[in-house]
Amino acid sequence: MPTYRKWYYPYSSPFDPCPPLTRVPYETPVQLYLGFQPPGMKQFSPLQALSHGTLWPGLYTPYTDPYNPKKKEA
Amino acid sequence: MAKENKLPESYYTDLQALQAVDFTLVELTLYLDTHPDDLEALKQFNSAAKKSAELRAAFEARYGPLREFGHSYSSYPWQWSKAPWPWQV
Repeated sequence: MPTYRKWYYPYSSPFDPCPPLTRVPYETPVQLYLGFQPPGMKQFSPLQALSHGTLWPGLYTPYTDPYNPKKKEA
Repeated sequence: MAKENKLPESYYTDLQALQAVDFTLVELTLYLDTHPDDLEALKQFNSAAKKSAELRAAFEARYGPLREFGHSYSSYPWQWSKAPWPWQV
């Protein structure tokens, strides 16, 4: 399962008033790059599609909590 | 309805099968909105719509109406106001 998360490392200056931001996550799901969906993509079975929330595995981009990834999303 | 007023277990499996087919219909509708000339998806949509109608008819024959205002038949006496209500399912 490729992860669609990328990280941004903001610059932290010694004169910052607040504690520095270490790294900031941002999501780049597949539909950003996909553009126009090609016909004839592989499909889930109806029951799988219901639980995954999409009919096409290619477009399945689950969101996991970036701050404590070990905890399983409810 | 069963004497002891409780839903049979098969209610949920039938309902889930119906929901799965309906979800693929939603996805295919959205897909066909942007891909009107995709014959493959259109065939799948029509077969899924037919399957959904069959599943719905079978479900309503066994457990009672699913939708109101004339979208579902009701047996005698009037079934719509009887339990289970949507939040009890």
